Amino acid sequence: MATIIINGTEYTLPEGERLNAIQAAQRFGVEIPYYCWHPALSVVANCRMCEIQVGSKDPKTGEIKMIPKMVPGCQTPAKDGTVIVTDSPEVRSHQAMIMEYLLINHPLDCPVCDQAGQCGLQDYSYRHGQAIHRFVEERTVNPRKDVSDQIQLNMDRCIMCTRCVRFCREITRTNELQVERRGNHAEITIFPDRPLDNPMAGNVVDLCPVGALLDKDFLHKQRYWFNDQHSSVCTRCSTGCNIVAEENRGQIWRLRARYNPKVNDYWICDEGRSSYKSANDANLLPAMYLREGGQPREAPVDRALDTARTRLKEIARQGGTIAAVISPFLTVEEAYLLASYIKGLSGEAVLALGPVPVVGEDQTFAPDQRQGRTGDTSFVVPRPFTIRAEKCPNRNGVERILKHFQGEVIPIDRLRERAASTPFDALYITGGGHEPAYEGQEWTKLRDGAKFLVVQDVWPTDLAGTADVILSSATFAEKAGCYVNATGRLQYASAALPPRDGSLPDLDILAILAERPGGGPISSRDVLSELAGQVPAFAAVRSLDGPFPEFGLPLDGSEEPTPGMFRYVDPWHAPRGRVSLAT
Amino acid sequence: MKPDDPNLKRVEPPKLTLLEKTYLPQILGGLAVTGRHILGSAIGGKAVTVQYPEEQHVPTANYRGVHRLNKDEQGRVKCVACMLCATACPAHCIDIVGATAPEDWPDREKYPESFVIDELRCIYCGMCEEACPVDAIELTGLYDITGLSREELIYDKAKLLSVFDMTKDAEPMKTGNPPASLPVPTSPLDPEGPGPRTTVPAAQLPSRS
Repeated sequence: MATIIINGTEYTLPEGERLNAIQAAQRFGVEIPYYCWHPALSVVANCRMCEIQVGSKDPKTGEIKMIPKMVPGCQTPAKDGTVIVTDSPEVRSHQAMIMEYLLINHPLDCPVCDQAGQCGLQDYSYRHGQAIHRFVEERTVNPRKDVSDQIQLNMDRCIMCTRCVRFCREITRTNELQVERRGNHAEITIFPDRPLDNPMAGNVVDLCPVGALLDKDFLHKQRYWFNDQHSSVCTRCSTGCNIVAEENRGQIWRLRARYNPKVNDYWICDEGRSSYKSANDANLLPAMYLREGGQPREAPVDRALDTARTRLKEIARQGGTIAAVISPFLTVEEAYLLASYIKGLSGEAVLALGPVPVVGEDQTFAPDQRQGRTGDTSFVVPRPFTIRAEKCPNRNGVERILKHFQGEVIPIDRLRERAASTPFDALYITGGGHEPAYEGQEWTKLRDGAKFLVVQDVWPTDLAGTADVILSSATFAEKAGCYVNATGRLQYASAALPPRDGSLPDLDILAILAERPGGGPISSRDVLSELAGQVPAFAAVRSLDGPFPEFGLPLDGSEEPTPGMFRYVDPWHAPRGRVSLAT
Repeated sequence: MKPDDPNLKRVEPPKLTLLEKTYLPQILGGLAVTGRHILGSAIGGKAVTVQYPEEQHVPTANYRGVHRLNKDEQGRVKCVACMLCATACPAHCIDIVGATAPEDWPDREKYPESFVIDELRCIYCGMCEEACPVDAIELTGLYDITGLSREELIYDKAKLLSVFDMTKDAEPMKTGNPPASLPVPTSPLDPEGPGPRTTVPAAQLPSRS
């Protein structure tokens, strides 16, 4: 039990964590401004913004001795008896001095800078800076340059915090970026012909406290404050990184990483970062279709759903064989509704796991506490980050549901072999991935022999072209629900976009088909509690009460709150510039 | 501040005299003002109304009419697509699509690919003018805009630039006026008006209503 004194008030810190003064003060609602410090990176203390007055209290005599000069807060361990002063006139004038110095060469082009609105320099300039500029010389003009095809560097906006340099050295350990020259001439650069193209490079944009490093994908397209921020989960691979989806005017503009120490730490990969494009695609199914006269024809939503429901019921009543393909892109709630609906139609029905896309091999970035780092690393808790080869979010969750409903998981290939020898009377196939999955002859063969084919997907595919009913469903951004990632962690993703015209979220489609009592829109939380009551693999959800846990829920085994399980967000990314901590 | 705050000072209204209590001096004073105006416009030639449209009303210099998009010395749109006007706009009538400036504009990083103002939705408050960091958007003295459809009064970048060409002589910009050699269209509704046009079609997106 450590007691620290912040601005004259005593606070007690819990055991088991090694915190610096910034983190300790943040826990108790005292903000120490900083730029260069980041909890995952080593401490270099080069921005000098977090300098505070530090002293220690003698445990025997109770006498407080202050260090005669100011010390960086990022480097000061919060130990028993540490005394921190963050609001004295000396500290304030020091912060104003640092702000004035950082702004000497800053172009002040906030109106055209994409970082405006979530910029550390803007926030601190407002709070700690001054309105006048005493520097009368010409500002250094440093032209913008590309550090890769994806990332632009506006060097004159840079404040040389070297967060990006440390990220490349310590987290990806690819060393693309470095500081060139010194002092006023210092610059962030790459080696000639060695662009910043590692699979996690986009994180330097999130890390940059100012508008120096910018994503060209988002460049000049939107202002940050127009975008609504939605907490979501990346569906590009089975890691299930926590993300923020920025939405405005019915379109997703970018995805950013959201902190989850148990899954993705502070990072997301570039592939995940660009996966938002599939939600904005112009080729997404614009309506539901019914097969009339050998051709799919656009049909109203209610008629398409009615046809699917009545025909499937009819086939089940006549004793026909039914099979359903549950896509690993469906949420657990949707998979559960679909499985219980199809099994409810016919106990003999076959449920198969949809195609699981696998590309390449798992790639793990395992930063070390000490190796490859410079400066003070004692506060760093290194956590590995994995980009998985399995490019779907919910194979794990769908398999758990399939095992409950039929005892085994039938892969899609086995279903296709079986369909080739003894065709099913009715097939219900779901999709919803980032790319069209059911393209080519091997899929259209499923049609042969089937009396009735329903395809519920977001893409117009070859298989959908042969279907009797095409149900236009939701992309990852248009639906809310839970995914189980590769390590068995249940995570909730909220919907970022409203449904497209002519489509319905999968959960609503299935609720209508299954004629769930109550009617009206269906809540994923209600289905989740129902599912938890029935499927033992989801028993951990039963104890869930109140809001969904921020860092997800491990389905296998319980989890004690571990050090570092506090929400972390850089102050300039926090809503309205204020950090609120999870308690 | 609470009602019993010691800093609060209670002020009593002044007592009215007997004459004031009849209200007659105030009524007569008011009638005198009205009479002065009637006589002024009837025989003094001080009428405020004009015989529009035969006679055109010239508004004061700070009148807030139709917007214009100013041009710089090279005839380029001055706007840098910072969207601060759209942020300040209380009626949400401004729609801007920003884009990276062409390579041969070294002084600029961003420019508006499309700039649309719904003149019907606008409440002519002038907040956009106030917010603009580069004095690119200004409200002119034009007040008589008409159209046969609502679409006609949704002004795009070309129209807003042509308003500038029409009004730049009568109402010079606050800063950095371009040379007078640029061609002048006759009407803001003239689709062939000068100025760069949007070439990129609206993003093809799935519609969400």
